[in-house]
Amino acid sequence: MSVRKRLITVLTFNNGILFRTKEFHPDYRYTLNFVDAWSVDEIVLLDITRRGEGERRNFYEVVETFASRCFVPLAVGGYVTTVDDFKKLLSIGADKVIVNTEAMRRPEFITEAARLYGAQCVVVSVDAVKRADREYEVVIDRGTEPTGVSPHEWAAIAEKRGAGEIMIQSVELDGSLNGYDNELNRSMADAISVPLLVNTGAGNWSHFAAGFNEGGAAAVCTSNIYHFTESSVRSAKRYLARAGIAVRTE
Amino acid sequence: MIGIIDYGLGNLRSVAGAVERLGFEWVITDNVKTLDGADKLILPGVGAYGDGMRKLNERGLVEPLSDLVLNDKKPILGICLGFQLFAKEGTEFGYHKGLGWIDTTVRSFRDGGVTAPVPHIGWNDLDICKTGTLFKDVPDDALFYYVHSYYVDGAPLTGVTATCHYDLTFTAAIELGNIYGVQFHPEKSQRHGLTVLRNFLEKSEA
Repeated sequence: MSVRKRLITVLTFNNGILFRTKEFHPDYRYTLNFVDAWSVDEIVLLDITRRGEGERRNFYEVVETFASRCFVPLAVGGYVTTVDDFKKLLSIGADKVIVNTEAMRRPEFITEAARLYGAQCVVVSVDAVKRADREYEVVIDRGTEPTGVSPHEWAAIAEKRGAGEIMIQSVELDGSLNGYDNELNRSMADAISVPLLVNTGAGNWSHFAAGFNEGGAAAVCTSNIYHFTESSVRSAKRYLARAGIAVRTE
Repeated sequence: MIGIIDYGLGNLRSVAGAVERLGFEWVITDNVKTLDGADKLILPGVGAYGDGMRKLNERGLVEPLSDLVLNDKKPILGICLGFQLFAKEGTEFGYHKGLGWIDTTVRSFRDGGVTAPVPHIGWNDLDICKTGTLFKDVPDDALFYYVHSYYVDGAPLTGVTATCHYDLTFTAAIELGNIYGVQFHPEKSQRHGLTVLRNFLEKSEA
């Protein structure tokens, strides 16, 4: 056996309150009733507060709460634009920091952060939309700004710049529960040698298996599929183990 | 009181959170007197080798810590980079002198011929090869969370208690008297990680 395939829970916070999202917009509010879960392999916390609304402090409090109660790796992102943001998030308990828009605008930011905190600390998240001609395009600033750049080409550049992991999200599939876009995922996995985290679209356990087998994922992410209840994470893991995927089942 | 050594690197809060969860009082500090008063020490760490040694030197911690560990025999647990710094030298981004408490070298996965993705990130096995203190009540199939690109060469050491395999077999844990080191992150490895940490906090001896 070697490194296990990971199951990651992504939680999105609007001004410190847990929200489900659909196509990148806060959809409805969730109750945060868990935290002390044992079976999930990693947790991602994202600040999705719209610019000018809410207070960043509320998100920091969320990160601190998770850091003190969860004994799994914690990756944190949303509005990360400086190495000071890295410093702040790491100081309140993040293990990894997720960058997106600023990395595209200023790729040297990836290198700067990796030099200071190590490549393992830098996750570059890529948001993609599928255009009418079936070509994919990276969009930034919460899906609002087109870039004309192809996701897999950008992923390869981000890795060269120092990214330790790459995360891919499809804007259209966010909240759809229709499954991952594994054509997109595979194009990303083939372009990089660092782990690929696939997000957006999972609606049932078989979608996770497809994310690994067809999408080439090192980790599958989900936010909408379950309420993070302990039994559902465990049941997902059991399903994957039966499907022949090496996961942590304890 | 558990002294968590603050040298400006590493996920100090996560380590403190795990120690607190286990019911122990902790202090995060670079104050030598406070560390001297602590029952046990933890040297966490995430980052680059040269950076780690530079920061320990800047805070004047190298000699006082060596005195506490080598002369006073205060139990210390090194985690990830913290463990690697115990070695006499590291080769990450050039040659760097380490703390020299254990007679070995820190080597790079790439130089060792590893072709799998580096850094080694994720949950992996642990092969317990020697009975010790840290792995009491830890089942054989327990998984631990690793994040690193370098490893401690176990060949010259007598106290290797566990290894892990990632294209090559590397040192996952050592116990040499009062000196304990783990390459994985017990504070990020769920219940089995907490068991390892509890074993250190409760059972390690000077």
